[in-house]
Amino acid sequence: MAWLSRQFSTRVIVLIPIAIAINIVLGFTVQKVLNLPIYLDSIGTILVGVLAGPIAGAVTGAASNLIWQYAPVIGPGSNIGPFAITAAVIGLLAGLWGQLGVYKSRPAEGMRLWLAIAIGVAAPALLILPIINNPAYTDPNVGGYPSWVYWAAVLIAATFALVLAAVAYVRRDSAAVWVALAGAATGIVAAVVSAPIAAIVYGGVMGSGTDLLVAALRQGGADVYHASLGQGLFSDPIDKTITSFVVFLVVLGLSRRLLARFPMGERLTDTASA
Amino acid sequence: MPTGAYRRLNPATKLALALAEAVLALGVRGWSGPLVVIAVCVAVAIAARIARRSVLLVLASIPLLLSIVLVNTFLYPGATDPIVQLGPVRPTWTGLAAAVQATLRVVAFGFSVVVLILTTEPDHLIADLERRGLGRRAAFVVGATLRAIPRTTQRAGQITEAQRARALDTEGRLWRRVRGILPLAGPLVFGALTDVEEQTMALEARAFSAPGRRTVLRVFPDSATQRVVRWAALLGALALLTSSIAGVLEAIP
Repeated sequence: MAWLSRQFSTRVIVLIPIAIAINIVLGFTVQKVLNLPIYLDSIGTILVGVLAGPIAGAVTGAASNLIWQYAPVIGPGSNIGPFAITAAVIGLLAGLWGQLGVYKSRPAEGMRLWLAIAIGVAAPALLILPIINNPAYTDPNVGGYPSWVYWAAVLIAATFALVLAAVAYVRRDSAAVWVALAGAATGIVAAVVSAPIAAIVYGGVMGSGTDLLVAALRQGGADVYHASLGQGLFSDPIDKTITSFVVFLVVLGLSRRLLARFPMGERLTDTASA
Repeated sequence: MPTGAYRRLNPATKLALALAEAVLALGVRGWSGPLVVIAVCVAVAIAARIARRSVLLVLASIPLLLSIVLVNTFLYPGATDPIVQLGPVRPTWTGLAAAVQATLRVVAFGFSVVVLILTTEPDHLIADLERRGLGRRAAFVVGATLRAIPRTTQRAGQITEAQRARALDTEGRLWRRVRGILPLAGPLVFGALTDVEEQTMALEARAFSAPGRRTVLRVFPDSATQRVVRWAALLGALALLTSSIAGVLEAIP
């Protein structure tokens, strides 16, 4: 229980509303004003998860969605409330990645750097192997997905691996690999949790830019649930990887003194050196 | 004090009703759940004299509703009963039925949200919940968030203008819009973190983390009837939800 109350120190209680406000402002701008096929409404959630732990992250996520839904002015017309569960899961995972030290900078050179990059490139390849080898996803007659899913999966995985390798190489920091993988994993889980909610409550559409993708998948033959899942597996990993990187860059930019005041701050800095 | 019979209800009652309506609108399959909720909300809106405003706010869901109707009517997988053949596109009755049901759900849920927003002051609701044992930290989080939203919006606007003055292009094609987001997110988060230090010290100076419960001075009138209504609404909604999931309510449309 002490572990739990430590996660909710005054500083964390102050951080949470600010994080929620960032979620709402950025999310509203990206989804409603710019109509982009990503969400970008979890930066605050993942930041709290990394700085304060999984439970605080989960609370931030759920509260973000519920407050957004019931807030004056922006609440009406939004469809974000029922996804509070997804947001809580995102915050929980962020806290777990933070505890595992994913967001700690790990400067690396030479072989260690290349090894990390190799893992980062191999991971998406291994991930999509079951997808492209499974006729349920690539043969419209079997699984109901359109045939271009095969090439889309290959392209996305290749782009992901390329960007990841480039960032890790340029910054000489193998943490970039882990941050990207953690983001992608969070995105996949988020998509799986969201798809039933979107399909059952909203008939699979969100009233935003992502609906074009849903329509395209349905045009290819996917049913309501699989179209939502397909759209989620496209948007969520990209969105969470970008968010994960933003949080990583923010954490890198903070002074050690500032970080140490947060419950999980110690895991984000190299405590070996003074 | 607020005027009107509904507005004078205890904030917790209005919240309980809104939550029960939300569960009914979204969780109970079929037509009855959403229709009942819409009927109740319309009745409340007329009684509380917020009918026109609430309808206007519910209309904010139109882009979502349009999308639901279009995508589901024209692209409902596995449907074999076309309404008409318009060249390559084939709207179906099954798709239309699913679309209308989803629309009703969204409208019902949206209406329950709007009724709560228009009849309840957030500060009153938070104060009442805190008096019932919510805890000052949760009360602070909700209240501070509602105040932080306009402040953060304003700051986001300032950051965007500052970036524009440094020749950042924020209009135009998709790629430019995406590039415009990241230089906004970074400074926004950093600025927020400096706020955290100041506010933490301010709260600590006011004994925020002291043990024991705070006494909330503001008391909102409550009655036994309202307590019964609250429990009945919440338990009833839960019962209907579980019955719906268990398939017991199949007979009701």
